[in-house]
Amino acid sequence: MSFKSLLLATSALAFSSLANANTLNVYTYDSFASDWGPGPKVKERFEAQCDCDVNFVALDSSVGILSRVQLEGSDSQADVLLGLDLNVMQAAQKTGLLAPHGVDTSTVTTPDGWQDDYFVPFDQGYFAFIYNSDTLETPPTSLKEVVENQDLRVIYQDPRTSTPGLGLLLWMKSVYGEQADQAWETLAKHTVTVTKGWSDSYSMFLKGEADVVLSYTTSPAYHIVAEGEDKYKAAAASEGYYAQIEVAAMLDNAPHPDLAKQFMAFVLTPEFQNTIATGNWMYPVTDNVEPLPAAFADLPSAGQVLTLPIEQVADKRKAWVNEWLDATTR
Amino acid sequence: MLLRASYLRPAWLGVCAYWLIAIAALLALLSYASPSSWSVFLTDPYIWRLLRFSFWQASLSALLSTVLALPVASCLFHRRFLGRNLLLNLFAVSMVVPTIVAILGIVVVYGRHGWFTSVFGVSFPLYGLPGILLAHVFFNMPLAVRVLMQTYSLIPDGQWRLASQFGFNRWQGYRLIEWHYVKKALPGLFLLIFMLCFSSFAVILSLGGGPRSSTLEVAIYQALRFEFDLNKASYLALLQILVCSTLAMLVYRFAPKVVQDVSVFRGVSARLRSGRLSLLIDACVLLVVGLWVLPPFLAILMPIASALFWQTMLEPALWWSVWHSLRIALPAGVLALGLALSIAALARPVRWRDWGERWADGLEQSGNLVLMIPGMVLATGLFIVFRALGIGISNAYWIVVWVNGVMALPFVLRAILPSVYQQERRYRVLYEQFNIVGWSRVVLEWPVLRGAIAQGLAYAVLLSLGDLGVVALFGSKGLQTLPMYLFQLIGAYRVEQGGCVAVVLIGLCAVLFYGITRGIGGRRAEL
Repeated sequence: MSFKSLLLATSALAFSSLANANTLNVYTYDSFASDWGPGPKVKERFEAQCDCDVNFVALDSSVGILSRVQLEGSDSQADVLLGLDLNVMQAAQKTGLLAPHGVDTSTVTTPDGWQDDYFVPFDQGYFAFIYNSDTLETPPTSLKEVVENQDLRVIYQDPRTSTPGLGLLLWMKSVYGEQADQAWETLAKHTVTVTKGWSDSYSMFLKGEADVVLSYTTSPAYHIVAEGEDKYKAAAASEGYYAQIEVAAMLDNAPHPDLAKQFMAFVLTPEFQNTIATGNWMYPVTDNVEPLPAAFADLPSAGQVLTLPIEQVADKRKAWVNEWLDATTR
Repeated sequence: MLLRASYLRPAWLGVCAYWLIAIAALLALLSYASPSSWSVFLTDPYIWRLLRFSFWQASLSALLSTVLALPVASCLFHRRFLGRNLLLNLFAVSMVVPTIVAILGIVVVYGRHGWFTSVFGVSFPLYGLPGILLAHVFFNMPLAVRVLMQTYSLIPDGQWRLASQFGFNRWQGYRLIEWHYVKKALPGLFLLIFMLCFSSFAVILSLGGGPRSSTLEVAIYQALRFEFDLNKASYLALLQILVCSTLAMLVYRFAPKVVQDVSVFRGVSARLRSGRLSLLIDACVLLVVGLWVLPPFLAILMPIASALFWQTMLEPALWWSVWHSLRIALPAGVLALGLALSIAALARPVRWRDWGERWADGLEQSGNLVLMIPGMVLATGLFIVFRALGIGISNAYWIVVWVNGVMALPFVLRAILPSVYQQERRYRVLYEQFNIVGWSRVVLEWPVLRGAIAQGLAYAVLLSLGDLGVVALFGSKGLQTLPMYLFQLIGAYRVEQGGCVAVVLIGLCAVLFYGITRGIGGRRAEL
């Protein structure tokens, strides 16, 4: 039986290498490419206008996309990387593997507008603590309250292994600055646990292990739209929300540079942007989209948004992670 | 001399291929290392704290798992009761339960609103060392029981008959017969579980209650993925290898020598005298284990009653991922078995010869090497090798199969070596006298070895089926396995549906385990 499956596997492999020569390889993270993510619609809509095949290579996370390309180096078969975020942009650019995109990004609605030669944003979200309004009567209204309220049981993600975890690290830094280490120490006293990734912590929260969990402001929208459940809410943050912006980039050695360019421009069209809200549960980055479902709260206004300059993040990340480690293991 | 026989050539081929690829992968990674910069890491106090904690929790987990497994194995060997086979089958799949699923199962039982709280009124201190031990014993105690059960099958029936005639009770039987076999398996078993727990990752982070509980593996992951610092990653990997192999050397140094028994005759089993006390002890032991392992399993299997489960079963994507899992796991299992048989074929002729003991030990140890190297490091190394050779990533499938096969090797070795040695010990003189070598030996030994071979293969297939780390590194649409599908679901808020997929995964494992051990091991195979 296993010999047979070996044969079958071999033939399947041989077959797959005969795929269309006009195939655009897009490296992305798995939930984007999954059946319920935006991937299938994006593929269908782009194929309708490009006379090509779109092949999603689904990696385990946004960091996974980058490290895969770093491993492959200039031999990479990737045309487009879809799903890097603000905080790995600097690292991605330093690899020297990316090409300028040449797309007009003036219509982009991210908090401070968008100017970057190498990256095109495709969605945006805001980190927030999610709570269950049935069981938590007085939800926190600021990050400070989450940190200081010793009765609040908190779960968040490890900044060394997860993107939201890194987001919280930067959020804390932008709110507390030099006092971040004391804040971490205070938070550590009522932290239930710190998990490897978002999935672990969010499902532990759903099982009732914590009062609040680090996630996105758009998480409640999933429960409302997909499950008709409105008890999960995002806690307000009076200091401002920390932004996550996901970006696409094309490779310098892309096997199909023209298709890649076409795809980069496609990212900002309504066809692509309309798939984001209920596919990726994030906000689109342009205005010319269908109205979002009512479950989506309004985008935080520019004054409510916090971001640290990406150069500073790239420089200081290691030091800040160590600061967090020191403070939480004291 | 003995190893130059022509019939051993295929075995040499297997072993050399294994060594070559493993060394190439490691060297590829090391080529990025600059040891001169390692002094920076050497002085990092966090790494040393990590190491201390890893060592501590892994030792405790391994100790607890083996100590608990001792009476369980004895009880399961001596007694037949309703549900025994079910329990043994469940024990076989426990180690492939994806960690996130196990964690959720444990949370349902021991969490803040868990069953434990509702029964006892107080909540279990889940986050911290208790939670880690709880989970590690859940994963590894069943494994320990199964390994020990296999040791029991090496005890010749004659000893039991004699014991029965002397009127031994269970305690005397244990002290005078079982212990002599069991104690030889213990060092290896302890080491196996220690290494599994030493490199445990998601469990430690999720149930550890914060970065205070963390392992070297987290640091390796961070270096490899977030920082893409191959230099640091190779330093940490070497550190892990160093710690584990030092421990391995110590354990083997003080371990009792493996002396295999000659007789394997299996007749009618004779019973030992069983008094009320032994019945009581057995009942208590089963109760403890039952309460430890079964509730989380029940919690994991609960979705089977929901309507969502049947909806999930209708998803084509589910069955595609089952197919992808199988097409990785089956070849990986066969590969692991092939490598293990090669190592066994080379180790058996030199065992019990003046100069050969060390050789045989070395061969066995080389098979365990991969337990010490994190799978992700191995896979990354191979990736670099393949790239350098210009083979390209379209061969990701073969890398995944190979790494999975190699990672299962230590388990397969543990399953087949005792039986192989037993055959060697028993028939060596005859084999030499009549020059029975190669294929004819295989034919002669097949009826006796098939059980162990089936066990080894089943373990390897199950392990590869449950793998996530390696496949995720090379992930592509064409290689979406069942565990990946599960993670995608949970990652997209579909926790309940993920639970249903976990049930399918466990069911598939149970079916495969049963099918392989029965199909290849034959009807008489011990479960």
